[in-house]
Amino acid sequence: MSILELQNVSKSFDGTKAVDGVSLGFDQGKITALIGPNGAGKTTVFNLISGFLRPDEGAISYQDKNVAGLPPWRRAQMGIGRLFQDVHLFERMSVKDNVLAAFKNKFGESALMSVIARRKIEKKERTHITEALKLFDFVGLTDKANELAENLSYGQQKLLSIARLLANGAEFLLLDEPTAGVNPQMVGALLEIIRRLTKEGKTIAVIEHNMNIVIEIADWVYFMDEGQVVSFGLPSDVLGDPDVRRAYIGL
Amino acid sequence: MNYLLHILIMINIYMILALSLNLLVGYTGMLSLSHAAFYGIGAYISTLLIMQKGIGFIPAFLLAIAGTTLLSFIISIPSLRLKGDYFVLASLGFQIIIFTILYNWVGLTRGPYGIPGIPRPNLFGIEIDSILSYFIFSGIIAAFCIIFLYLIGDSPFGRVLKAIREDEIAAAALGKNIVRFKIIAFAIAAGFASVSGVLFAGYMRYIDPTSFTLMESIFIVSIIIIGGTGNISGPLVGTALMIILPEILRFLRIPDAIAANMRQIIYGLLIIVILRHKPQGFSGEYRFE
Amino acid sequence: MLIQLLANGIISGCTYALVALGFGLIYNTTRTFHFAHGAIYTLSVYLFYTFFNLWKFPLLAAFILALILIAMLGILVDQILYIPLVKRGSSLLIQMLSSLGFYIVLVNLIAMIYGNETKVLSPGIQPTYNIGSVILTRIQVATGITFVLLFVGLAIILKKTNLGKLIRAMRDNPQLISVLGINPRKIRLLVFSIGSALAAFAAILMGLDVGVDPNIGMAAILNGAVAVIIGGIGNFEGAALGALLLGILQSLAIWKISSRWQEAITFLVLILFLLFRPEGILGKRRRIEETAI
Repeated sequence: MSILELQNVSKSFDGTKAVDGVSLGFDQGKITALIGPNGAGKTTVFNLISGFLRPDEGAISYQDKNVAGLPPWRRAQMGIGRLFQDVHLFERMSVKDNVLAAFKNKFGESALMSVIARRKIEKKERTHITEALKLFDFVGLTDKANELAENLSYGQQKLLSIARLLANGAEFLLLDEPTAGVNPQMVGALLEIIRRLTKEGKTIAVIEHNMNIVIEIADWVYFMDEGQVVSFGLPSDVLGDPDVRRAYIGL
Repeated sequence: MNYLLHILIMINIYMILALSLNLLVGYTGMLSLSHAAFYGIGAYISTLLIMQKGIGFIPAFLLAIAGTTLLSFIISIPSLRLKGDYFVLASLGFQIIIFTILYNWVGLTRGPYGIPGIPRPNLFGIEIDSILSYFIFSGIIAAFCIIFLYLIGDSPFGRVLKAIREDEIAAAALGKNIVRFKIIAFAIAAGFASVSGVLFAGYMRYIDPTSFTLMESIFIVSIIIIGGTGNISGPLVGTALMIILPEILRFLRIPDAIAANMRQIIYGLLIIVILRHKPQGFSGEYRFE
Repeated sequence: MLIQLLANGIISGCTYALVALGFGLIYNTTRTFHFAHGAIYTLSVYLFYTFFNLWKFPLLAAFILALILIAMLGILVDQILYIPLVKRGSSLLIQMLSSLGFYIVLVNLIAMIYGNETKVLSPGIQPTYNIGSVILTRIQVATGITFVLLFVGLAIILKKTNLGKLIRAMRDNPQLISVLGINPRKIRLLVFSIGSALAAFAAILMGLDVGVDPNIGMAAILNGAVAVIIGGIGNFEGAALGALLLGILQSLAIWKISSRWQEAITFLVLILFLLFRPEGILGKRRRIEETAI
């Protein structure tokens, strides 16, 4: 059952169509991979879904609600989480603070309440800290809790990103090349985390260049080239398609 | 002794300015060059209300804070969408516009002639008319401000501000309404700056626009650059340093004619040296980088 | 009346343009908000004053000497202030704040040495010329001619010479410069010396016209920055256009409203441009990311 859909979405930059009449759907609880050569428009699609770009044409709906006009922060509050290629952590804050900042905390994040309702806020902080520790366990960053985010290795930074998304209550995760630049030992851990997330009912969209990983974890694949969806289906079918092989050099 | 109290009163006034600007610069990462404008607006609103409308000190004080905070929205709502450099320029522009209004709307503010004879604050029948009592009065207000700003900064709210400073995109992707937080931070900073304005007016008993210029905004920014930002101690250390320094010059018997220039030269050199060698200031947490 | 106002506005626009061209040149290539440009501006006319009024050098000699020294000083400022920060990877904000610090130091040094009062450089009434229905003083004419010559000269350098191509390349794509094996330091040297020299022309002409005091630099640099933004960043014709328009706008404002509100109007225009047309009149819309955050 489709939890997020793009219908005929287009986006141009300076006259070039980065995304051209694209229609895709992401099924709930499944891992959908977006593959294709560089410049095919995959990250643009992610930007369109997460709200950092607005479509020129077409409709984007999440849980049957039209989201195309909503700013990124609104979509995040609805449950759309984004993992960026260039990580985007709060570098000079600790791992713990990175995650604590990610919790949905409308009441606590108020200047007025910080002065007059201190005790209530501190109580909530304590629950968040407990949950944060659970998340650290989940991603394997427990011993780095007080480390500054900028001091983590690239792979650890990605794990932190995921922990933040989970703290934020993301139900639909957009993972932009999650394994890129991560050392091989950690890749396995990452994939395991991704699988466990779907078992908990989360939906994953992943941009991946490593075809082995795509075959290993994707339930469904979209192949994009030059802004369009050229092929889609089960990983083995799409990757076995000669057109895809031809367009995607290095298979 | 009076001299010492004078210094301490000025430190109280500037501590509030520095700490409130710190919320904007050190926590949220927005460099604003319009802080002196809000300082001045606070001074003028309270003064005009007390002297022309006969309003008591406490209501005038509160109205000055409310008025300045509301006015801050006029500036922040349009300009907070601007990126870094452009926001700084816009804040510079607003500072100059507000100064020009204070200076030239003579009908309202008496412009360059200033407003003399401002009465000392009168709280519940007690007039705070000695320097010692003003020191205690301003000290209590400053203490409250420090506490409030500390509570606001050391909280989930403050953490979101820092997150915005570190990476706006990530903060937005985590559901934070960036513009709203910035507007609130800006309003808080402006509100506290106006408190300093009220204290200044009541102490000096005379105000004119030349106390609220662009150079004054730059001076307040220098305080937090030199002292450090992002935490409470930085601005406090910076204020103490920057207020006491010129007095040291006075002790060295430097002729008044060049003392003012000498002071500025030292500020300028301190800015350059600190930014080059110790960007977190003497006591700050956030490294300007 | 209107024509005279326009003429006055255009001439003062010419002075702004010289400052704006220099400031814009430096900003476009190095991305530094060179606040210290205002101090350089101030120093150039004080140097000229020293040579011409105090030491009684002939006008031309004083002028050229001041020009050379200022060009060198501009380079020096870059070397000791900005380059160490750039090497350390400091943000542009830090460079701007340091620039501000330098402005404060230099301007106060000047005030300490020469005093705060206004100094007159060319006493007496100036000869005037009638051009059509417009009356211009000799200095105004000189300003106009100087601007045109320098603008054309700069245009030729930027568009026709290899040096100019390098400068424009650095403006559009700084990373490419080192890849191509060209030393960005050399280009910095050029733009800082040319930029500072342009400021010197503007400052000395203005000094001969209305005299000097240590605070003229702030207004000059702010007007220059506004001109660059109105006209268009990244576009040196834009800087000139913006400056001329600013001069005309201020002239009209003085006529219609009052000279007291001139500054407020200038910065209101700046803010309007920042909000609604940040790329300026001639600038290209630099679409970075439509992060509608």
